[in-house]
Amino acid sequence: MMRKRAFIAVVDDDESVREALPDLIRELGHEVSAFSSAEAFLASEGLDLAHCLVVDIAMPGMSGLDLQQELTRRARKIPIVFITAHGDEDIRARLRQRGAVECLLKPFSDTALQDALTLALGSG
Amino acid sequence: MELESKDTSAAARLSESDLIQFIDMIPALAWAADADGLPAFFNQYYLDYVGLSRAQMMGDGWARNLHPDDVPVILADWAAIMASRREGTSQARIRGADGQYRWFLFRANPLHGENGDVIRWYGVNTDIEDRKRIEEALLNTRSQLAHMTRVMTMGQLTASIAHELNQPLAGIITNAGTCLRMLGAEPPNVEGALATARRTIRDGNRASEVIARLRALFTNRNTAAEPIDLNAATQEVIALASTELQRANVSLRSRLTESLPLVTGDRIQLQQVILNLIMNATEAMSEIDYRPREIIVTTAREEPGHVRLSVQDVGVGLDATAAEKLFTPFYTTKSAGMGIGLSVCRSIVEHHRGRIWAENNVGPGATFLFSLPVHTDDQP
Repeated sequence: MMRKRAFIAVVDDDESVREALPDLIRELGHEVSAFSSAEAFLASEGLDLAHCLVVDIAMPGMSGLDLQQELTRRARKIPIVFITAHGDEDIRARLRQRGAVECLLKPFSDTALQDALTLALGSG
Repeated sequence: MELESKDTSAAARLSESDLIQFIDMIPALAWAADADGLPAFFNQYYLDYVGLSRAQMMGDGWARNLHPDDVPVILADWAAIMASRREGTSQARIRGADGQYRWFLFRANPLHGENGDVIRWYGVNTDIEDRKRIEEALLNTRSQLAHMTRVMTMGQLTASIAHELNQPLAGIITNAGTCLRMLGAEPPNVEGALATARRTIRDGNRASEVIARLRALFTNRNTAAEPIDLNAATQEVIALASTELQRANVSLRSRLTESLPLVTGDRIQLQQVILNLIMNATEAMSEIDYRPREIIVTTAREEPGHVRLSVQDVGVGLDATAAEKLFTPFYTTKSAGMGIGLSVCRSIVEHHRGRIWAENNVGPGATFLFSLPVHTDDQP
């Protein structure tokens, strides 16, 4: 059963994504916080609160995949939706195989994000 | 000795009519002008070439057969040469008797009197049309070659380009989607919708800026000569390459000297050189796994009157024989390379009256550097 109102953490180094995505996620009925790096997210209380992560793959420093590994290492089971501006269907398939709920290729529609979050929160 | 004195006496015996015939028949446009620059004499070969009489050439008449665009140039040069009272040159197109314009090099030489004043000017105009054509063809070839290698570089940058464009497109689509939801809510969230609509426009502009940058970089066009801020040009290149660098796991640090003097030239071509050096540095580190892959891009003043840009890597470095041949066409150490990138770089830098070279670092890796003269106002 999907949580009615979930807490979503957005992790992306791109400022305009950190502006745009939280508004959309709030419109979809969730609470949201945005972080500019994986390190910043790991150091925040978002780590304990997040029901789902929306994470950019390519970031300077710790990448989205590094963050996924680190969460696994810490035995944190937070469902992850990856987003990427240079992905293709191959990468998408591989990431889903490796445990990601979904990998959205930028640009993606609001309904694609909604579906991914529904899936993530249902599985979380 | 015997022979020499014989020759001298033979020359001395040349009659005045022999000398006039010699001057008239020598296959060159020869002329003389008096101290204040007015024409005094044109040889017959000159008159035949332009198809005018000596009388027609006197006064301002000699300028009549010049290309109208070149008249102000040659008059200004001529005034400057006369003021300097020293030998000087200028260039202009002369229309021949056949109606065709050809480029000529005008060379004037002063005859000084005892008090050092110029009492006469002697000149010869040489046909340089063929040389001009070759120079033009060379310039053309250089810019085509530069364009070709830019397009090849674009192949390496497709991922970066897709990323640069997908990023603002994602913003547009997300913001527009949010905007619709806000307007469709009950009651509509007009304030939120306005903010997201504004962000949509901003991201749209961002995307079109990316396209404009790419078009500028990959469109084939004539070589420009304009004042360039090398730091700003470098930052644009770094932005363009950033995704590629991230993919290659390379961190790039820039140390750009503040208030660097401007240089003169073609911004796009110089950016191509910088991009090429950065991509080469990245490639030189592709097999380095035991130390952080790092590039340092530095700009600095270089006295006298130059600025220098360097790209330092911690890659495999250069071996002694490679360092010499690096900038030669078709020399390559890469299995996939054609070996023209650096030779095009050299051609571009030298065309900007600069110098490009490479050296091994004291520590691991190599540094590629180029230096360019700073921009001065009297440059074209």
